[in-house]
Amino acid sequence: MPGFEEIYSLYSPQIFRVCMGYVNDHEQAKDLTQETFISVWKNLASFKNRSKISTWIFRIATNNCLRALEKSKRVMTTELPFHLPDVPPEETQEDKLRFLYNCIAELEEIDRIIISLVLEDLPQAEIAAIVGLSNGNIRVKIHRIKEKLATKFKDHGQFE
Amino acid sequence: MDNLNDLKAIWLSAKTDDLPSSTEMLRIVKRFRDQKLRKKWMVIIMTIALAALMIAAIFFNKPTLVTTYIGQVLAASACVVLAVSNIRSIGRFYKLNDCSNKEFIAFLEQTRLNQLYFYKNTQVWGMGLSSTGLLLYSYEFVYQNMLWCIITYSLVVVYILVFFFVVRPRGYRKEAKKLNATMEKLKELSNQIK
Repeated sequence: MPGFEEIYSLYSPQIFRVCMGYVNDHEQAKDLTQETFISVWKNLASFKNRSKISTWIFRIATNNCLRALEKSKRVMTTELPFHLPDVPPEETQEDKLRFLYNCIAELEEIDRIIISLVLEDLPQAEIAAIVGLSNGNIRVKIHRIKEKLATKFKDHGQFE
Repeated sequence: MDNLNDLKAIWLSAKTDDLPSSTEMLRIVKRFRDQKLRKKWMVIIMTIALAALMIAAIFFNKPTLVTTYIGQVLAASACVVLAVSNIRSIGRFYKLNDCSNKEFIAFLEQTRLNQLYFYKNTQVWGMGLSSTGLLLYSYEFVYQNMLWCIITYSLVVVYILVFFFVVRPRGYRKEAKKLNATMEKLKELSNQIK
């Protein structure tokens, strides 16, 4: 079993990106990352290896994201889907990233979690174990989310 | 989508260098540990201590009227009711170490239902027991003096009426509105995960 510091160094960037994909807010994503590792630290000794350590950590992080709806008015009151600007985004990497976050923010909450995990390169079986759906169900959902994202990107002059 | 790799490249370009270092994070986690459940633990400890104090008072003070005994037992029972409901709630939190999003949403839904149940039932029972206990307990100290009896009972009854018909309904309305909004959102999440 790796130590806390090793786990943190390995997973914190991934967890931050997943939280950022969910909340689309830098500071809130940092807070959620911190909360995730507080839970990891507290429960590391009782972690029973019933699942992979990455599955366990991503479960904690995504559950924290879902919990954020109770704490944050921002997530509660955001009316989704909001309208993306009609002007195509600038070509800088930062703008592309912001555009990607905005596209993900238009998705339903569970879809946001799923696509963030896909973009983190997690295998479908692991995503299924994190979310709590069957492999088949996850496969269908991933396919639909990718289609939705592709449409949004194409509509805004990307991927031509 | 053929361009998933492009999206991955954009996704991985997110800056993560302002995250705390592992040493800083260790300092942070040590400061924040157990804060979430601290309030619940405090309620449990305080109510158990209060109930124990009331039972001990029966043996040390040796009241002469049976109403005092009944009053103390009822007030101690109210503390036990509050302690038990918090112990049950805390037990559910500790079982939540490793669960999927689907199980977690079910847990949140059940927690909110329990909270509504607490406001509608447990709190009424607890307050009923402690109010009756207070009325009975006070009797021994004032029954020989009619003026004190009237003053004490008027104050206690006014306090109980204000709590039951003003403070509690106001708190309940506020809490129920918040809980119902959360329940709606949780139902929506639950539908997404079917």
